[in-house]
Amino acid sequence: MMFETIVGIEIHAELKTKNKMFSPALNEFGSAPNKNVSVIDLGLPGTLPKINYEAIEMALKAALALNCKINKKMQFDRKNYFYPDLPKGYQITQNETPIGYDGFVEIEVDGETKKINIERIHIEEDTCKSLHEGDETYLDYNRAGVPLIEIVTKPDIKNDKEAILYLEKIREILLYLDVSDVKIEEGSMRCEANVSIKKKEDLKLGNKVEVKNIGSISNVGKAILFEEKRQEKLILSGEEIVTETRRYDEKLGETVLMRIKETKNDYRYFPEPDLSIIMLSDSHIEKAKKEMPLLPDEMRKKFTLDGISEINIKTIVASRELSGYFLEIYEQVDVIETSKILTSVVLKQLNKNRKEINEIDKEGFVKLVNARSDKKISSDQLEAMFVKLLNGEKNIEEQIENEKSDMLTSQDLEKLIITIIEQNQDSLDKYKSGDERVLKHFMGLIMKETKGKVDPKEANKQLLELLSKLA
Amino acid sequence: MKNILNLKLTEINELLKEKKIKPIDLVNEFEEKALSSSLNAFITLNIEAAKKRAIELEGKEVDNLFFGIPIVLKDNISTKNLKTTCASKMLEDYIPIFDANVVEKMEQKNMIIVGKTNMDEFAMGGTGETSYFGATKNPIDETLVPGGSSSGSAVAVAAGIVPFALGSDTGGSVRQPAAFCGVVGLKPTYGRVSRFGLIAFGSSLDQIGPITRDVTENAHLFEVINGFSKDDYTSADVEKFEAKDLKLNKKLKVAVPKFCVGENINDEVLSVFLPTLEKIKKMGHQVDYVEIPFLKYSIPLYQVIALAEASSNLARFDGLKYGYSPNQYDNFDDFVTKSRSVGFGAEVKRRMMVGTYVLSSENVDIYYKKALQVRQELTNELNSVYKNYDIILSPATPTAAFPLGEKRKPNEAFFDDLLTIPFNMSGHPSLSMPIGKCGIKPIGMQVSSNYFEEKKIYSFAIELEKELGV
Repeated sequence: MMFETIVGIEIHAELKTKNKMFSPALNEFGSAPNKNVSVIDLGLPGTLPKINYEAIEMALKAALALNCKINKKMQFDRKNYFYPDLPKGYQITQNETPIGYDGFVEIEVDGETKKINIERIHIEEDTCKSLHEGDETYLDYNRAGVPLIEIVTKPDIKNDKEAILYLEKIREILLYLDVSDVKIEEGSMRCEANVSIKKKEDLKLGNKVEVKNIGSISNVGKAILFEEKRQEKLILSGEEIVTETRRYDEKLGETVLMRIKETKNDYRYFPEPDLSIIMLSDSHIEKAKKEMPLLPDEMRKKFTLDGISEINIKTIVASRELSGYFLEIYEQVDVIETSKILTSVVLKQLNKNRKEINEIDKEGFVKLVNARSDKKISSDQLEAMFVKLLNGEKNIEEQIENEKSDMLTSQDLEKLIITIIEQNQDSLDKYKSGDERVLKHFMGLIMKETKGKVDPKEANKQLLELLSKLA
Repeated sequence: MKNILNLKLTEINELLKEKKIKPIDLVNEFEEKALSSSLNAFITLNIEAAKKRAIELEGKEVDNLFFGIPIVLKDNISTKNLKTTCASKMLEDYIPIFDANVVEKMEQKNMIIVGKTNMDEFAMGGTGETSYFGATKNPIDETLVPGGSSSGSAVAVAAGIVPFALGSDTGGSVRQPAAFCGVVGLKPTYGRVSRFGLIAFGSSLDQIGPITRDVTENAHLFEVINGFSKDDYTSADVEKFEAKDLKLNKKLKVAVPKFCVGENINDEVLSVFLPTLEKIKKMGHQVDYVEIPFLKYSIPLYQVIALAEASSNLARFDGLKYGYSPNQYDNFDDFVTKSRSVGFGAEVKRRMMVGTYVLSSENVDIYYKKALQVRQELTNELNSVYKNYDIILSPATPTAAFPLGEKRKPNEAFFDDLLTIPFNMSGHPSLSMPIGKCGIKPIGMQVSSNYFEEKKIYSFAIELEKELGV
């Protein structure tokens, strides 16, 4: 029997604002428990929420990046339920008017572009963090009131692979927008997958199983695979799929039942009377658009058009810092040459010296890569000078001048090679007859003549070009 | 000197300035009166701290009208280090760690908070009888209700125990007890007084308001507590009200809704209200009867909107961090159930259940969303009246004060707020002032105006007060 899987994904991402969503307390991961707490986060009687506009701006950028329509007139709503981690007995969220709706992202599945539709993205406040120790539960209010965005897809995802690609895509976008740390292990990104299956010939979807608490993107894939098999088995043995909530147990590699949803939760949503309606003006939206960085997909397109190799694009785009640095010097350099330098020498030395790309003086770096693309310096020299730059060398121009004076220019090198070839007619003949061993001989002569003041790669390249002309 | 607190504010101020009295004298007088009172107007007296404060003030210059003046607050206004119970077992021992915005404002004026007043539990009730700490009595006649929910605040002022009090008004909780006790109470324009620190009942309706002996002093106290606050997102960013030039410079166009003198209104009330209208006409103002059809939906509107909001606002009282909690319980659900079952009184539970019901997904469209539409219609009607009229006048209450302990059906409890609710729904300012008595029972008149026109209300009320000589 053939089955089809349908997956919808909900992502919660914490926004990296300075303060909390509705209070002035700091939004800071890793503080001592209950350090970043205000009377508002505690939900003390008489307290009122205040809106953090930084969070709204960040959410707006995320909504725009996900190609969403924007609710220019939006409100907050209360979602009412009792739970130990919920200080007020309700969560302030957006039910009626999510900041963004009807959006999409594109993923590449086996070389084809697939659209994953986004149903909505809304803003809400996080709850306390519960810590269980034996029979006791401790509450950490540092997390209470941290701004979250929730991104909900339409049931467009067909399998684990698409789910992983989708999650990676969202993660990358939020990272580039600089609106979230999106670290699953720290809880700043949380994923839930709603998995249902049906027999291929059936029109109606099966009951939805919600899988929560998934600790990594790859585990989302594993959880979906497990659910597919579990549900298929149930259907084949004539049993029914129950609407339920499960969690993914990493050690078991299985989803485990948390609770069966007997009745639908009634959250009694209603507009938050403590906050008035928020109007997002066109100029607001335009400003957000202007402030948005080039996003990874656009960046990939741009780099491809400019002739940068696929592998180098992948390496550069994988790091927001690296690609950001690259874009900042983009107009001042030979981009293909620079992409090669960034993905080789630069990454190697940054790693070795435990430094960040943004610590490197841009002006000096531009001079360095330009000296290299003008063939004024060899790649070995580039690397040596880059290390100096990394260690704070201010006068990179002088360094280049000193080194360069010893180097042969491209034209001089060409003349020299021609002379050497002409003086070794027999070797040339051997080359013509297909004996490539003479290349080494030529190179030896070149290096000897130039006393090493030449880039061997460059010399080799020129030699080959000249030989092929003559041959 | 005796009975200083019974003097006019300006007179007390003069005595303080001339150093004939000290703030401590006022606190002492309050203490004596409060302790000998049998009206049950207070839940907590703040004597020790108040005396300490009064002595601190002795070294300071008397720089404003309210310097050293004692005031009492309804016990749902948060006071740092001073119990704030909402007249509930739930918060019997709750001590806030922060001050309400209005408290900060009074402290800036060096006013002295001398006590927290009795009220209906969580402001739910119109007689003061739902208080966990027992009913407050009407000083006119101790067998009568004082009205509510700001019962103790109105009573303390009416009985001359203290000249100033703050209450809160969600459906009439300042104006209605003011009317029953014969004092002046204002429900300001929604957003004009910060709600930060006021323990919420119906967030879209709640306003803190001053209760005083006369209109002018009411305006002065309103000046102290009003103003934009960054702590309250529903706060109105408008020019601050100042109690000056409170004089009418023209005759007013006055609207009286027919509904407010109709079959629902008790003869006791009309016997004072209608002659007052005649006097107002004689004063030269134009009085017209108008139709405002949506007024008749006031009570169902209130039952849906206020109680829906209340069911959510009171959800935070789970006993986990503060408030009543059980010693023995099986699990979290049991803990919360026990905290709330024992901590809340019957009226509060009833209202939360109604609120929960009207918000449930099955009912939200038929009740809550419908009510929002009706609320908008009613507001539109009132706004269109204010296009042609300066003020709307009506009796403050459909009846005068009635005996304590009267058995009423649960839904009859809302009837006392019939005429006050509309202005909470629309957000318009509205003042209740005494206009005379029926027998011994005070009768109040309600004066309402367009948004932020408290000055017009006060100017009219001062003129009328003079005319009536009350």
